[in-house]
Amino acid sequence: MAKPKFDIGDEVRVRNQTSLFHTRTQKYTRGHVGVVSDHRPEWVIPEDEAFGRVEDGRKEPFYVVRFKQTDLWPDYTGFERDTLESEFSERWLEPARKEK
Amino acid sequence: MSGSHHRHDGHDGHDGHPTFPVASRVSEFEILELAVRELAIEKGIFSAEDHRRFAEWADGVGPHGGSKLVAKAWNDPEFKRRLLENGTEACKEVGIDWLKPTGTGTPSDYTFFYVLENTPEVHNVIVCTLCSCYPRPVLGMSPDWYRTPSYRRRMVRRPREVLAEFGLHLPPEVEVRVHDSNQKSRFMVMPMRPEGTEGWSDEQLAEIVTRDTMIGVALPKAGRTSDEDVQAKAAWR
Repeated sequence: MAKPKFDIGDEVRVRNQTSLFHTRTQKYTRGHVGVVSDHRPEWVIPEDEAFGRVEDGRKEPFYVVRFKQTDLWPDYTGFERDTLESEFSERWLEPARKEK
Repeated sequence: MSGSHHRHDGHDGHDGHPTFPVASRVSEFEILELAVRELAIEKGIFSAEDHRRFAEWADGVGPHGGSKLVAKAWNDPEFKRRLLENGTEACKEVGIDWLKPTGTGTPSDYTFFYVLENTPEVHNVIVCTLCSCYPRPVLGMSPDWYRTPSYRRRMVRRPREVLAEFGLHLPPEVEVRVHDSNQKSRFMVMPMRPEGTEGWSDEQLAEIVTRDTMIGVALPKAGRTSDEDVQAKAAWR
């Protein structure tokens, strides 16, 4: 099992890439910064699994990322402390600082 | 349902009462399902018997598995610890095996199960914006509204307003945490044990842990035992 690139507590940015193939990275999270709140087991990435590559697909660490709702939605109507969690394969994440 | 003693074949009754058509119309989705199913059987991906067995399982599951998990966890801190640590394993203790009946996990894909514990500080709620992923082995089939684009797109960006539409108003000091099931994890909310339930047995507690409380759109209350106990009236005459 590959060592996860990001630790719990790290600030990460969801890559703002175009979906060329099947992905389960929602558009509304792309380009946004969140904090890694948990690790998930290594899975075959959906980009491969969607094409039937269950056995020989690329496996990657997955992460739970917690976003502040006010970071995701500029017009958020709830409260500052509200959050949203979602999961990402490593290829969709990058350190938050680098591209600022 | 009781009522009509005789059936017409999908046309208005001669006596002026509307009758309910029996499969007089088929949606494109149903045709697609049938076609894919027949192809899969023909190709030997699964058998008609496998399909029947799965359909039987799917029709039989409901939220009672989840209710049992929560009730047991409320009464037994050790079980609660195991449940939060490894949801899939702890499920076996109440007779739910996530690998059954397909042998490769529940349909929709192989999954990992996580129980989200509500606290006085954090209220969890689940949604799947990509399709309608749902922890079927413990909660059964998802309610229709859970699958609607309206719930899915609004829960992630206007959670407090959507919760208010369900009658749930959470104070500003509680963090609302939305979980979008976009990958292989499936989630269930473990609500907080309500007041007035001291000394209750697992069975008594399970009755108030309804489906909606485990999705996170409602809170359990001593006395309220079903999400669907409202007698609906026909919307047309």
